Amino acid sequence: MRLIQKTNARALPAWLCVSLLMGLAGCDKRPRGPRYEGAGNPKPRDGGTFVFHHESNVRTLDPHLAYDELSNMAIRLLYDGLLDYDEQSNLIPSLAETMPTVSEDGKTFRFRLRRGVRFHPMPGLPKGRELIAEDIRWSLEHLLSGDVASPGFPFFRSIKGAEAFHSGNEKHIRGIRVLDRYTIEFTLSEADQTFLNSMAMTFAYPVPKENYARRGDQVGQYPVGTGPYMFQRWERGVQIEFVRNPRYFAARPGPNRMVYLENVQRYVASLRFQNGGLDAIHRYTPAHRRLYKTARRWKPHRKEFAEAVIYGLVMNCELPPFDNVHVRRAVAFALDRKGWAKARGDAFLPTGQFLPPSIAGHVPRLENRQRFDLARAKREMREAGFARGLRKEIVLWVGEGDSGRFYGELVQNDLAKIGIRVRVRQVSFAVYLEETAKPKTVQAFMSGWAKDFPDAASFFDPVFHSRSIRSRNSQNRSFYRNSQLDALLDAARIEQSPSRRAKLYQQASRIVTGDAPWAFVYNPLSMHVWQPYVRGYGPHPVWDKDYRSAWLDLPRRRVAHMLTGRRFAKSMASLFPFGPLMSKRFAEGRFTQRRRPAREGTMRLR
Amino acid sequence: MDGRAWRRFRKNKGALWGGMLVLSVTLVAALGPLLAPHDPDQQHRETLLSGDGSPVAPWSVPGHPLGADSLGRDELSRLLHGGAVSMQVAFFATALAVLLGVVVGALSGYFLGAFDFLSMRLVDVLLSTPFLLIAIAIQRVWDDPALWTLFVLLGLLSWTTLARVTRAKTMQVRALDYIQAARALGAGRMRILLRHVLPNVLGPVIVLGTTLVAQMIIVESAMSFLGLGVQPPQASWGSMLREGQELMDDAPRLMLFPAAFIVMTVFGFNLLGEGLRDAFDPKD
Amino acid sequence: MIAYIARRALFALFVVAAVVTGVFALMNAVGDPAAATLGPSAGPEQLADFNKKHGLDQPLAQQFLAYLGVVRCVRPSSPRWHTDPGQRGYCGLLQGDLGESFGHQEPVGNVILTRLPRTLLLGVLALGFELLLGITFGVLAARFRNTWLDTTIMGTAFLGISLPTYVTGPIFLLVLAFWYGWFPVGGYGVDPLDHVYHALLPAFTLAIFGAATYARVMRSEMIETLRSDYIRTARAKGLSTRTVTWQHAARNALLPIVTLMGLSMTILVAGAIITETIFAWPGMGSLAIQSIYNLDAPTVMGVVLVFSVTVQAGNLLADIAVAALDPRVRLGS
Repeated sequence: MRLIQKTNARALPAWLCVSLLMGLAGCDKRPRGPRYEGAGNPKPRDGGTFVFHHESNVRTLDPHLAYDELSNMAIRLLYDGLLDYDEQSNLIPSLAETMPTVSEDGKTFRFRLRRGVRFHPMPGLPKGRELIAEDIRWSLEHLLSGDVASPGFPFFRSIKGAEAFHSGNEKHIRGIRVLDRYTIEFTLSEADQTFLNSMAMTFAYPVPKENYARRGDQVGQYPVGTGPYMFQRWERGVQIEFVRNPRYFAARPGPNRMVYLENVQRYVASLRFQNGGLDAIHRYTPAHRRLYKTARRWKPHRKEFAEAVIYGLVMNCELPPFDNVHVRRAVAFALDRKGWAKARGDAFLPTGQFLPPSIAGHVPRLENRQRFDLARAKREMREAGFARGLRKEIVLWVGEGDSGRFYGELVQNDLAKIGIRVRVRQVSFAVYLEETAKPKTVQAFMSGWAKDFPDAASFFDPVFHSRSIRSRNSQNRSFYRNSQLDALLDAARIEQSPSRRAKLYQQASRIVTGDAPWAFVYNPLSMHVWQPYVRGYGPHPVWDKDYRSAWLDLPRRRVAHMLTGRRFAKSMASLFPFGPLMSKRFAEGRFTQRRRPAREGTMRLR
Repeated sequence: MDGRAWRRFRKNKGALWGGMLVLSVTLVAALGPLLAPHDPDQQHRETLLSGDGSPVAPWSVPGHPLGADSLGRDELSRLLHGGAVSMQVAFFATALAVLLGVVVGALSGYFLGAFDFLSMRLVDVLLSTPFLLIAIAIQRVWDDPALWTLFVLLGLLSWTTLARVTRAKTMQVRALDYIQAARALGAGRMRILLRHVLPNVLGPVIVLGTTLVAQMIIVESAMSFLGLGVQPPQASWGSMLREGQELMDDAPRLMLFPAAFIVMTVFGFNLLGEGLRDAFDPKD
Repeated sequence: MIAYIARRALFALFVVAAVVTGVFALMNAVGDPAAATLGPSAGPEQLADFNKKHGLDQPLAQQFLAYLGVVRCVRPSSPRWHTDPGQRGYCGLLQGDLGESFGHQEPVGNVILTRLPRTLLLGVLALGFELLLGITFGVLAARFRNTWLDTTIMGTAFLGISLPTYVTGPIFLLVLAFWYGWFPVGGYGVDPLDHVYHALLPAFTLAIFGAATYARVMRSEMIETLRSDYIRTARAKGLSTRTVTWQHAARNALLPIVTLMGLSMTILVAGAIITETIFAWPGMGSLAIQSIYNLDAPTVMGVVLVFSVTVQAGNLLADIAVAALDPRVRLGS
């Protein structure tokens, strides 16, 4: 087959011209504020569909298996715990009527359940079923049984008999006793200051056993809980849909439906948000972050807060050159944290110590904190005996995707200045996870640690205690050992006085800062932005993203200054001689009025 | 290329344009790393990122005519180096594909039999798998990807059409009288393949090879665009496009520059291929 | 004839089998689906449990047999699928099951069945654009050949075949969807009409290449046809230029377009990876890329299988049609 015989490239300039014009016309049209505003209802009202998103996908809706931020975000809509956190990170009762009574020795906890709490309807039980103390016991035994292999097991180890039950030696957990229909008592094998935090984790959220009998391994796909929203539909990797639970025990006005979009690229999501297709957003590009931060019209509808998460460069203390503490310190002093923050649109707070500011044990003005100091870094390199830098390049492992690449490039650039050449290896998450947890395998990698609950023990014990070193699947991935630190952490775990505990953890902070098994780099600064018609929503200090209290001020209205027609006309007018004609037509708003008005619910799914 | 083909080629304006485009892009790619005014990986966070962290605009800082990218690296230098990477991948992948395709095609076309059967079935299998998907899957499961893995991978997946065409042409040539005569006179197989068959398949191979370069550029950029191409901090036009996409409404140039280069290169190679096709295979 | 068809079918079967085996080997070469599925926070017990449940701790040959359905495993089509404690994941290809997705915890068949219609919608719309633009501009260019119109159309078409979707897609998304607000910014929508509205922009992005190709083919075919005798006859009869162009010539020039349409068909089933990713369109292409990222081998294999079966079926049908028309082929030389 023959294609055209003579081709002419004269059209190329014309085409370029057209695209250039398109670009010019568009320059004027960047929206600098929200496109919709609320109706101004004075009181919270029901109705509407709340749409939010995340870049990746939810893994499971089974609270016994879910152990990541995204799944927990969805699980928080479907289930409740005995305890919850308020806006100041204090524990408060939720399914429990009051805070539990604790015995003198701190080993026995007695919970009284709220009456009349019902599970969502499920096949066979169209009106649901009342939640009773027996459900709490069954849920915990299911969670801790060896067959389920839940990642939550370690948090409940301290319950008396939990280990024996987990290994299958005993049929029930000795430490859990149901006293009557609404009362349950837990006995611990030793005092544990973090037990109540554990009970507030999503792992401990009660589930109905009928659902497990019916769905087997598929509970994560067909969840049934007690929460404010009921599960409706989940198309994996695309979206989860929730409807309001009409029988919720603490019902308050809110959207009728919630839709959680999965796998939407942050760039697309952010554009869609600005056009009114998403109701709240917490992931966007650095450029859009700058926009939300600086645009006057977005200001009332955003909130920034430092997450209790630490990111840093982890160095393997068993492998050269990082078996030398001076090299580790040199790295810690070579990273230009402020420069990183700048390139990231100030999306994080530079730090120089392990604990985030909101955790007791953080030292406000740490004397030996790690910071960017090139002279100091070079001095440490000299002390290490590498005044001229390292001969061999080091291999830095980073995760997949743009951010992995981004951090790899930042480290590469900074360490080159102290004579360390870095080869960045971007590996799949699975490989990354497996290999970094093996001793003497990976030299250095970028990593983060997020709290399980807001307590220093949730940071120090898994990350730096020598007990967490294992030959495979090690949690202490820097393979840092320090018996002095171990002793401090063990003492802190059982210490009952909060102030003394904080002192112990501050001491621990000084040790790891100086020994630098990690170069601590930053605490992410998360910024949530929401549409003006979204009310009662804001980031939660513990749960971060919590959509329970949001309501929609509907019907929403298009913001007058954002009418696209007018702006379009303006930009066209500047380009073409017939511009004024069009400009008049569009300025009258004919163009925009022809658009379908946003119907509640369906249309807003755009 | 014989004289007539060359004359036809010269008369085809589009092909000349294409040739010039290809030549200039190849020059840029070959000399780019030498011409680049700065280290493409050096980040100037103080000078090339403005106060709020956005990359500086073209010409706003002396010595950086195209401004900076989101990490404060000189955009012009990255474009030049990235071009070298993209073109390297495209050229080597094409070279590998051409080599494989011609060897397999000529051998199976000449000897037929079991080898022919097996290799053509392999071609069928490769043609009924989604190309980009397989390339991505391999790159994804590959433990430690480097630049050479990328072009070996692309080369290994894209020799199929070339093999088919070479095979058909070889079979045609093989049946010609003078080849039969040469064989009867006792010419060695290799000699026949090299002296008689190869020159005959050269035309279509050059045409296909030229368009294949264009396709390889597209595929490499597509993979980089999906985040599975070159490794950091290396730049290729595709990876720059990916980085630029997120900044499009802020600094469209970061996306438009690499995009323009990709489109120009592909356009040039397509034009050239088209001109060559007409030159080798005139029907008028 | 029957023998010929049988031979071709057998051959197609062989190709599909080879593809399946190859992709199976590829997806299992390296990587740990357990960690990729369960995520960063999964403990060692959970990973081991996952591997045991999906038979990933067994030798590869054993897993492949399970995929074929020779070894006992939980077939997604069985009524006890929800609660069966047996081996999940790979299962039952020979019985017509595609197994169960690692990540979706759902039969791969169901996952594909929800995605396929969307990709078809996108593909059909794209094909519509391609034909509409390609034929119109091709005929126009032929009709006014060697004028400025021809030059412009063909130049643009040539640029069109050099414009990758990852260049045009983001530009359209930004300019037409975001700035002007004429189209939704990615996504899929809620009701059928909404789906079509959401599909317009990605379909157009996809169609550029095809439309340009069709326009070029259409033009050269039209020029050939316009030279042929019967057109001259028609003109001699005194028919108007418009009638001759559209009724006589264009119709005949359409034939090669029909054969070319086969090319677009693969997009119909395999989806367009890049375009679907850019526009967040939940079709086969984005399913494929997500499954590859998550090392969800059964789903990847399902997608590839659907693709290669379609390609082979298409080839088979074409071969049979040719054989039916041309006895020399089926008798085999």
